[in-house]
Amino acid sequence: MQLPNRIEAIASAAREFQWLSNLTPSAMRRWIELELGSLLDANTPRAYGDHHCSAQPLSPILHIVSGNTPHAGIQSLTRGILVGAKNRIKLPRKGLPELDHFVRLLPTELKPEMSNSLQGNWMEEAEAIVIFGSDETVEFFAKHVLPRQRLVAYGHRISLGLVLGPFDENVIEGAVHDVLVFDQLGCLSPQLYYIAGDSAEFARKLAERFNQLFSSSSTVTEWTSEIAGSLRSCREEWKFRAATEPGVQVWESPDNLDWLVIHDPNPGLISNPLYRTIFVKPIPGDLESVLYPIRRQISTIGVHPVDSRTAELAIRLGAQRVCPVGGMQNPAVTWHHDGGPTLASLVRFVDIEGLQTE
Amino acid sequence: MNMPLEEEILCFLQRPDKGKFETVALRLYEQQRNHNSVYARYCESLGQSEPIHSWKRIPAVPQQAFKYSELRSFPASETAAEFRTSGTTGEGFGRHFLGSLKLYQTAVQSGWDYFRLPRNPFALLMQHPEKAQFSSLSRMGSFLCDGRRDSFFVSNEGAVEVDRLRTFLSSRTEPVTLFGTALAFLNLLEEASDLPLPPGSILMETGGFKGLDREVVQADLYIRLSKCFRTEVDCIWNEYGMTELSSQFYSRGLGQPHLAPPWLRFLVIDPKTNREASSGEIGLLRVFDLANFWSVLAVQTQDLAVAKGEEGFLLLGRDPAALPRGCSRAMDALIRRETLIKWENKGINMALNAVAESH
Repeated sequence: MQLPNRIEAIASAAREFQWLSNLTPSAMRRWIELELGSLLDANTPRAYGDHHCSAQPLSPILHIVSGNTPHAGIQSLTRGILVGAKNRIKLPRKGLPELDHFVRLLPTELKPEMSNSLQGNWMEEAEAIVIFGSDETVEFFAKHVLPRQRLVAYGHRISLGLVLGPFDENVIEGAVHDVLVFDQLGCLSPQLYYIAGDSAEFARKLAERFNQLFSSSSTVTEWTSEIAGSLRSCREEWKFRAATEPGVQVWESPDNLDWLVIHDPNPGLISNPLYRTIFVKPIPGDLESVLYPIRRQISTIGVHPVDSRTAELAIRLGAQRVCPVGGMQNPAVTWHHDGGPTLASLVRFVDIEGLQTE
Repeated sequence: MNMPLEEEILCFLQRPDKGKFETVALRLYEQQRNHNSVYARYCESLGQSEPIHSWKRIPAVPQQAFKYSELRSFPASETAAEFRTSGTTGEGFGRHFLGSLKLYQTAVQSGWDYFRLPRNPFALLMQHPEKAQFSSLSRMGSFLCDGRRDSFFVSNEGAVEVDRLRTFLSSRTEPVTLFGTALAFLNLLEEASDLPLPPGSILMETGGFKGLDREVVQADLYIRLSKCFRTEVDCIWNEYGMTELSSQFYSRGLGQPHLAPPWLRFLVIDPKTNREASSGEIGLLRVFDLANFWSVLAVQTQDLAVAKGEEGFLLLGRDPAALPRGCSRAMDALIRRETLIKWENKGINMALNAVAESH
C-alpha cells in the first residue's frame, strides 16, 4: 500500500479514539516531512547532498509492548505502518483491547501479526525490535539482539511537574488531568510535583479538586487485590508518617482507593504505587542534585509557567520533553520519543551515488 | 514496671491459654501506648481515644513504620538487641529494637515445639549471628540449634558451603532439619542436584523471591527440593516471619494454610475499606504478636492472604509494590547471582516471554 493510503488508513482508525485526535493526515505528513523529508515518499531516490538517497523500512518490525497503557502499542504500530514495514506485535499476557480495536479498523493489508507470546522466529527475523518495558526487560532483550538488528528501546521513565510561579485553578485542573489520564501508568504521567511557594496549599487544592471530581462521579473503581493492597499499604504508611513527622500531610478519597495526595516536605525521591497517587513537595534549592540519580530516566517535565527560564531548568534536570502542566499526556505527533526520532529509527537510508537523472 | 507483663507473656508462651489472649493483648496495647510515644501519636491520629475491648480493634502500625521511626516501648538506653530488614533497595531499612531477647527466644522455641517440629540436628543455610548481628533469621537459627556454630552453613562471604554440607549430611543416619531461605535453597540446588537426607528429616524454607531477579514459584521449588533431598513435598515446611515480628507462622507442604501458635493472631484486612475482609476474601495480613512486647504488638503487613478459619491463612505473597524485605532478604542479598539462569535454560522464547511479562 502506498504511503498516502497508509496515512489515510491510520487517520481513519485513529478517529475512533478521542486520545488519538492529533493523528490527522496533515499532522502525519508533517511528521514524515520533518523526520525524513521526501525520502520515504517515493520509490525514486531523492537528491541528498551530492548524491541520492532513499529511506527503506526495516522490515519486519517486532514490537514488544507493555500492558500499562494502550498508547505505546498504537504509537509503535503507527510508526511501523507509516514507514511501510511489516509489523509483528508481542502483546502483554492480558492483551490490549484498545490495540485490538485499532487493528480491527485497519485494512487487512496493514494488520500486524499479533500474539501474547513470541512466535517461531519472530526475534530472529526482525530487522528492528521495538521494546517497551522496564530497564531489566530492555536489558534482557538487548542481550539477544543480533548485530544486524536495530534495537529501539523505550525503558521505564519518570515524569514530574514543576510549578515555579503562582498557580491558579487552571494549573490545579491541569495537574489533576495529568494524573488521571491512563490512571497514571504512562511514562508521561507525573509521579510528583515540585512547588515553589506554598506546596502544602498546592497539595490541598489538588486534593480538593480530586474530591470534587470523584464525589460527583458514579463510577466505581475496581482495582485488583494486588493493586488495592499496594495502594492501601501506601496510604497507611503515609498516614503513619503524617502522624509522626512534621509537615507530612495526607488527603485521601473517603472510603475507597480512588485517589491519594501526599504532601511531603522532604524533597527526596520516593516510590509511588501510581493509580492516582500523587506526591507534592517543596522545590529544594538543589533540585538538580536531588534529581541527579534519575536524570537519565526522566521523560517529561510539566512546567508552569512555560518560559525560557523554566524550560532551561527542565532541560538541565534531564527532561526529554518539556510541556505545560495539563499537557503532559498529549505529546505532539512530531515529538522525539525519549529524545530520539521515531520514524527515522525504523528505516535504513540507502545512498545512491552517481545516479543519472533525466 | 514492664516486668510483670513481660513475665505474664513469657508464661503465656510457655503454657498457652487461648482464653487469656485478649486480656493480655489489651494490657500490652495499653502499656505500649503509654510507653511508646511514636505509637501513641499514631493512635491519636487515628482518633483512637476510647478504650478498646477487642484485640481486633488494636491499632496496627504499617510494617514500613519500622523504617521511619524507632518504635520502642522502652528507653533506648536499655536496648539489648536490634534486628534490621535488609534495606537493599536503597530506601533504607527497618529496625526492630528489643529490650531483651528472652521473649524472642521463647517465642522461637515454643513456636517450633508447638507445631511439633523436630529438634533434629540442624543444618542452617544462614550465617552465624556473630557474622550477621542484625539478622533476626540468624538469631532464630541460633536459638533453635542452641548456638552450635557448626550448624551454620553459609560462609562469611555469603556463599552456601556445599562441600561441608554434603559431608555433614552423608555422615548422618538420624534425621536432620535443613533450614534456609528460598534463595539459599535455590543457590544450593544450582551447586548440587543430589543430597539425600536421612529418613525422617525435614526442610524448613522461609522467605520469597520478591524484588529479586529470579521468580520461582513455590511449587517448582518444592518439587526440585524433594528430588534433590529425596524427600516428600509434605516434609517441606514454610516459616512465615519477619524482622518486625517476634513469632512465626508455619505451613506444611503445598497449598496448606499457615498456622499460628496461640500467642499470635491475625486478621485479613480488605484493602479497599481497611476493615476486616469477608470470609474467603483476599486482603492484607494484619498480625497481633504478644511476643512483640518491646515494640508494637499489632503490625499491618504488605502481604496478601485469605483467612482459613481463625487458626490460619493461605499466603498469597507480597503485593507487587511492596519493597523487598523480610528476614530472608538480608540473607538473599548475600547470595544473589546471575539473573534468569533457569529461564535461559528453558529456551530463548520462553525466557524472553517471561521477561516481557515480568515488567
